[in-house]
Amino acid sequence: MSRSLVLFAAVGAAALVVAGVLIAVSLSGGTSKPQSTNAALSGVGDALSIFGGIPQHGIVLGNPNAPVTVVEFADLQCPYCMHFTTDQLPAFVQQDVRTGKAKLEFRGLAFVGPDSLRGLRAANAAAQQNKLWTFIDILYSNQGTENTGWLSDAMVRRAAAAVPGLNVAKLVAALDSGPVNTLVQAAQRLATTAGVNSTPTLFVNGTQVSSATAAALEQAVAAAS
Amino acid sequence: MRLRVAVAVLALVAAAIASYLTILHYTHNAPVCPTSGCETVQRSHYAELVGIPVALLGLLAYLAIAATAASARSEAAAIGAALTLVALVFSAYLLIVSLTVIHAVCVWCVGTDVCVALLTPAALLRLRV
Repeated sequence: MSRSLVLFAAVGAAALVVAGVLIAVSLSGGTSKPQSTNAALSGVGDALSIFGGIPQHGIVLGNPNAPVTVVEFADLQCPYCMHFTTDQLPAFVQQDVRTGKAKLEFRGLAFVGPDSLRGLRAANAAAQQNKLWTFIDILYSNQGTENTGWLSDAMVRRAAAAVPGLNVAKLVAALDSGPVNTLVQAAQRLATTAGVNSTPTLFVNGTQVSSATAAALEQAVAAAS
Repeated sequence: MRLRVAVAVLALVAAAIASYLTILHYTHNAPVCPTSGCETVQRSHYAELVGIPVALLGLLAYLAIAATAASARSEAAAIGAALTLVALVFSAYLLIVSLTVIHAVCVWCVGTDVCVALLTPAALLRLRV
């Protein structure tokens, strides 16, 4: 019987140690590898490869000391913003942001409908964890028709869960927080001041860019550098 | 002998579920799921551990547990019990994460949890010989 007890104790101790290590690794975010397996949620792999390795600080993507600042005003429900993000932005990010020539600032607006505000709050909450750009890219890739309910709480959670290192519970808790409110209001104020009346609207060092294309942006950045 | 049969059967059932989830993981398909939470759970980063799908780790563990049931030796019983306890603790952790962090329930995963919960007493009783 005492041999049984020793065996029980040894087996139990070994199992607890191994399980503890597994849990610790899992909680550390499983940071090592981008997920290539998010079948039902589109664009996760793309988002991770476009923004992987580029620093994010709050709403800013890229080297915070980059000489040129590009500001994007956008609504997560707006189809043109989606097209800009999926078709034009990757080339610009690769060309100018990854190389440190420019940094990109997201100023989210919510005018398409009530769901826009939900997405915007979530985006700004993701900014609190320095994951805004990856998060909104996934939302855009899964965009539905305006105000049809696609931008739901569940979608916010799903998209957030697909971003490695983004703590979903923390994001949800921050949706109505002070810093998020401040970002929402600041973007609205800036848009009003700058006379933004459509999205996406882009500014390079304060000058509005004529069209939302990678080529126009690259040209504007080169001119401003 | 009865305990070994119980261990083998439960471990193989869990392995079957885990292999289904592993295949879906690699074929990028969503599981057939009555609660709609399966996709959410499978897509979360908790579904991978250092890049390896948790479903695959589970599959390997359940097959190993089933294999230990083939032998009556006490070493086999000890390894089986240790693996089962690891599976129990890690499954409990994943269930808590799924309920409190991901806010979605994957019924397939709960299926393996039930198998593990039933496996635990059987695997531990094997140590009492």
